Formats: sequence, structure tokens, C-alpha cells
Amino acid sequence: MRWLTFLVVLVLAGGLAVPGIAQQKLKAGFVYVGPIGDYGWTHAHDFARKIAEKKLPWLETIYVEKVPEGQTESFIDKLILQGARVIFTTSFGFMDGTLAAAKRYPNHIFAHASGFKRAPNVATYMADFYQVYYLNGLMAGAATKSGKVGYVGAFPIPEVKRHMGAFALGVRAVNPKATVHVRWIYEWFNPTAAKEATEALIAEGADVFAFTEDTPTVVQVAAKRGLPSFGHYSPMHKFAPKHMISGQLVHWDKIYVDFLSKVYAGKYTAENLANVDYWWLLAEGAAELGGEFGMPVNPEWKARLQAVKVGTPDLGRLSVYDLVMKRLAQMSDPKVTFEPFTGPIKDRKGVLRVQSGKRMTVGELNGMEWAAPGIVGPWPKEP
Amino acid sequence: MKRLGPFSVERVLVPSGAWVLAISLGAIAAALVAAGVIFWAFGINPLRAYAIIFAGTLADRRAAPEILRQAAPLLLAGVGLVLAFRAQFWNIGAEGQLLAGAVASTGVALFSPIPAPWLLPAMFVAGFLGGALWGLLPTLLRLKLEVNEVVSTLMMNYVALFSVEWLIHGPWKGKTAFGFAYTDTFPEAARLALIPGTRVHWPTLVLGIALAGALAFFLGRARLGFEIRVLGENPTAARYAGIDPFRTILLAMAFSAGAAGLAGVGEVAGIHHKLLAPGQVSLGYGYAAIIVAWLARGNPLAAILTALFLGLIFSSGDVMKVSLQMPFRVTDVFNGLILFFLIGSERLLNYRLRWAPGDRAAETADA
Repeated sequence: MRWLTFLVVLVLAGGLAVPGIAQQKLKAGFVYVGPIGDYGWTHAHDFARKIAEKKLPWLETIYVEKVPEGQTESFIDKLILQGARVIFTTSFGFMDGTLAAAKRYPNHIFAHASGFKRAPNVATYMADFYQVYYLNGLMAGAATKSGKVGYVGAFPIPEVKRHMGAFALGVRAVNPKATVHVRWIYEWFNPTAAKEATEALIAEGADVFAFTEDTPTVVQVAAKRGLPSFGHYSPMHKFAPKHMISGQLVHWDKIYVDFLSKVYAGKYTAENLANVDYWWLLAEGAAELGGEFGMPVNPEWKARLQAVKVGTPDLGRLSVYDLVMKRLAQMSDPKVTFEPFTGPIKDRKGVLRVQSGKRMTVGELNGMEWAAPGIVGPWPKEP
Repeated sequence: MKRLGPFSVERVLVPSGAWVLAISLGAIAAALVAAGVIFWAFGINPLRAYAIIFAGTLADRRAAPEILRQAAPLLLAGVGLVLAFRAQFWNIGAEGQLLAGAVASTGVALFSPIPAPWLLPAMFVAGFLGGALWGLLPTLLRLKLEVNEVVSTLMMNYVALFSVEWLIHGPWKGKTAFGFAYTDTFPEAARLALIPGTRVHWPTLVLGIALAGALAFFLGRARLGFEIRVLGENPTAARYAGIDPFRTILLAMAFSAGAAGLAGVGEVAGIHHKLLAPGQVSLGYGYAAIIVAWLARGNPLAAILTALFLGLIFSSGDVMKVSLQMPFRVTDVFNGLILFFLIGSERLLNYRLRWAPGDRAAETADA
């Protein structure tokens, strides 16, 4: 009996102490799909959570990693019980669970990454890379000697197809005869499969590599053979300081800081989020070009990229390095004066996909299934 | 016989219920002490940690039903394994059989013209048959060619896993899934009812309890149940008694694998309402069910308790992740420690201490 009393007292003490401290602060809870050490998606979100906590003195955060889709609601319950007022769910599979929980907690604020369903208290957000992939494609087109570029993809879903498409458009803009060879590994995190895929691509003759999956394997395997590559998602420069040309880096913190600041200021409430959809790219600072923060192109590669000249319809003849920097500046401009997916674009079968002079809409980009010209390899669900 | 101070240590063939309970509780207590070291290493007072875990599982009205939600698949698959293990057939393939059941019921939910009131029953029948069929191949291999079933049932899990991946990325990929690897969602009529105010799909739970009860009755009273027991405990005697091992094992395994298939139906019809990545359909329930069956020691009714217990352990890990902000690997270590101690204590069950001071005769006889 004494044991039980002790427990009850402890529980009550714990329960009363928490709200007392939290009163002045805004508490945000993060629901992650993977382990925070995955060096990809979840790692990047957790990195951003820590930056947001550092930047916003009134912010307090808690997180939970490796949450199964079927338990989204149960973990949201637990985070809210811990005093979280704002919940971020960071995987597409959490969509329905987030919406269901939002209905049960109408006074809490939710934001769901990569989804498309919103509610008065549920916003959506996404930081996308296709523009950066295009820039990397330009450099890959200049770096390949064999005219074959290798690409390891996780799953043939629109997000990855969009990245690969933008990359291939970039490659072809510099090197109209080059091809992008694809291998799917059907896993976000599987270093063994990524290694096998890279080696198979090397055997096919590919000599430059890019990828969309959550490990630095492709970079490491390519570097062992002395072949250049592009990093993805997290800073991977240190894995191949000589061979990594550039890459994509994400800044989820820009979105988190913006969103939470607006919540704290009372601009975002549990009633006005139905139209709040962050689709943030280079111009908003949510994506960055480079294999390391603050280093858009590896200095080891600068001279080689400056040596390759290319003609463009709008900028005349210039080096690939200058072209990358110009395009980067155009896309980083708030007015976004250049877009990779601007028509006319035909897919690899010759079907016109983007009308002349038109830009693809966010909706079209999110549902993109067709393969850009130059892509070689299987393409499940190709229209 | 050995002596331990004033006690004599004796072997017992069938431990009493009270002794089993005492040893199990002792093992759990020892595990909690050992796990306490982990909490302490993390700078958390172990007593406070356990208080938080208790408050976040059994004492929380939203979290407590989640234990039932995890116990349902563990119970169904676990009851099936109890039967297989009684027949000395080491079915390690419940995970694959569960997935096969999920696939079969998804097929019925999405592609059959069966009208509303019959759709869910048809899904359960399909799930049972799907699981049973998945278990059939290793059973036949063992019975006809004496292929070790531990290996073959285990390997079938991977075949099931990749088959599900293939289905959701290929032919069954949903038109409404926006390119993601899901099937379309089930129609309303193919979704299981929930206990109001919770997310517990109760029909699966009721089915599990009913199956446990039926199996207890069947093993104790029915002829086939008797045959399974004899075959498991003494194959030679079974042959003399004219028991057909082929038919008996085949039926036992069909039930065992079918029950795991039912667990798969519960997961897709009660929680996800679609087929999705195999690691999301089953959170390793097919493997955890082996522990459920093992701890139940061949008693189907005891599987109800052990399934609930495992559900509680899983929920405790969930609370640790959120309330104590511990890494998931540490919570896995915590879960593993408790099960390790429980299974490790198994050996002690067959011994008992008897107060026998000065009982020299026993010792000399032993020497």
C-alpha cells in the first residue's frame, strides 16, 4: 500500500510540476517516421528542431522517433499529454492519423509534412529540391566523360521522379547526348542495396552519380573508384572531400521558425490554417545547393566546371560554373525568374508534357509520373 | 537431489500455478532492477521512471486501450502458435502468415463484389485461408521431405514481406495513393468497428479470446486435440496408438497459420484500412507472438494474459520514448531485458525448494 501511495504522489507531483514551468513557453512536439540517426529525412527534421529551439527562446520541443503509421494518433496523444500545443508530423503516412487527432484536439495546432489534406487547425508544409537537382544536373552533364550518369532512387514515387526529372533536364541542358541511368532499391535506408546499385551502374559505364535515398553510400562507393558524385539531404562532403561536386541540403528550420513564430504571435491559430501550405524552395531558403552548408560547389571542382563552356538561349555562351551560379541566383530571387520545369518539355516517349511557355504547377509537380528525356531504365507507372 | 543450506532442491515435472506465477513475478522484478540501471545511467531516477511508465500506460485512459490494440494481433497469432508448439511443430512463420492473411483480406475488400454485411466475414475467412495456405508449403516440406520447419517457415516470412512490397508498388498500387506505395483505402463496409472513444477494433479481440477458449476446450476434450497432444509429447506412442501424424500436423498447422492470418485481417481492416508497407502492417507481431506462446506454456487461455503482458511492455516502451525522451534503441533494450529474464527463468520452474533441515538421508542417497 505504501508503494502505491508513493507512486500516486510521484505521479501527481510530476503532473502538477509540468504545466507550471511551461506556462510562458510554447511547446512543440515532433513525430518522426525514422530514427533521428538515419542521416536523411528524420535526421534533417531533428537538426531543424534543435535550430528552431536555439533561435526561439520561448520555444520548447519534444520529439518521438520511429513512429509506426498505425500509431500516429496514440503518439500525438502522448505528446499533447506532455503539454505540446503544436504538433508536427513529418511523414506522408501520418496524414490520416494527424487529421483524426486534429479533430479530437480542435484547440491544438498541427502541421503535416508532404501531405495535401488540411483543416482549420492543420497546415501542410514541404521543402522541395527539384530546383537544386536541376543545378546538380548541369554540373553532372559537364563532369561526365562517358556520357552516362548514374542515379540510385529509393522508390518510384512522384517525389523521386520529379527529382530525377529535374536532374536529367539539367544534364541535357549542358550535354544533350548524355543519359541518366536509373536503379531503384525500394528502400529509403538500405546501404547494401545502394552499394549494389552503384556498382551495377559503374559496370554499365556511368561515371558521375546522384541519388535519392537516405544514406551516404552512393557517395562512398563512387569515391572508392575515384568517381564524382552529388550528396543528398545532409552534409556529406566529409565522406568524399575530393570527389563530391555538390549536392542538395535542406533547411526545415526555416519553415519551423517561420511557422512557430506566427503561432506565437497569434497570426496562426487553430481556426485559420485551412489554406496554409508551405511549398518552400530555394527562394525561401528551405533548400540549399551544396555538399556542405555554405559551400555551393566543391572548390576542387570549380576550375574544371569553369573550363566547360555551354550555350544557352537566354544567357548566351558561358561556363557551366557561371551557368550554375546564374541559375541559382535566378531561382533564389523572390520573383523566381527561372524554373527548370518550363515548357515546352516532352517526356522520353515524345509526349508533350509542359506547354510552351508554361510552368508546371505545384499540383502537377506533386503528381508527376512521366520520365524526362535522357532517363534510361525501368519507370514503374509510366504514363 | 541437491542441498542448499537447510533446503533440499527437488525436481518437479509439472510446476504448480502458484510456483509459475511466483517465478514469473520474480523474473519481472529482477528485470526491472536490471533495467533500472539503464534509467540511472540516463540520469533518470528508476522509481520515477516506473511511476511515469505506470501513469502513461495502465493509468491513462487514452493510452490503456492501446495495450488492447497491440494485444489483439499478438493473441490471435499467439494462440495459433500454442497449438503448433503443442504438436512440436516449430512454426516461426507467423509474421509471414499474418501478412498473407492481410493480403488475402485486402484482395476481398478491394476487388470482390461481396455485399456489405458479408464483406467483413468474407475478409476474415479469406484471411484465415490465406494464412493457412502460406503455412502449408513448409508443413508439406516437413511432412514429406523432413525439411526443418524452423528454417522454412522463417524463410517464408521474407517471401511474404517482399510479396507485399511488390503488390503495393505494382499491381495493387492505389489510384488515390498519390504515387505512394499504398493500395486504395477500403470501403466503409470493410472496416472493423471500434470501441467508442478508443481505436480498439474489438471484433478482432473478441475473436482472439473466443479462439483461445475454443482451443482450450478442443485440446482438453476433442479427439483431434488429444491426438495433437500425444503426437507432440511422444511421437512413438502416437504411432502405436494409430494416430496419423500427417493429418494431425497438417490440421494443427492449418489452424496455427490461419489464426495468424486472422491477426493480419484485424490490422488492415481495423487500423490501416489499406494494405501498406509490411513493416507497418505488422510491428513484428508474428515474432513477438512466439514469446506470447512460449510464456503461455502451451495453455491457450494463458496466451490471453501473456498477449496483454506483451502489449503492456510495448506500450511501456512507447511511454519511455515520449515522456522520458529516451532513444528508441534503449526502449528496445528495456523490452528485451524483461523478456530475457522471463524466458531465462524458465529453467527454475522445474525445481522447487523444500524446507528440510537435517534431511541427511536424501543427500547421501543422492551421492
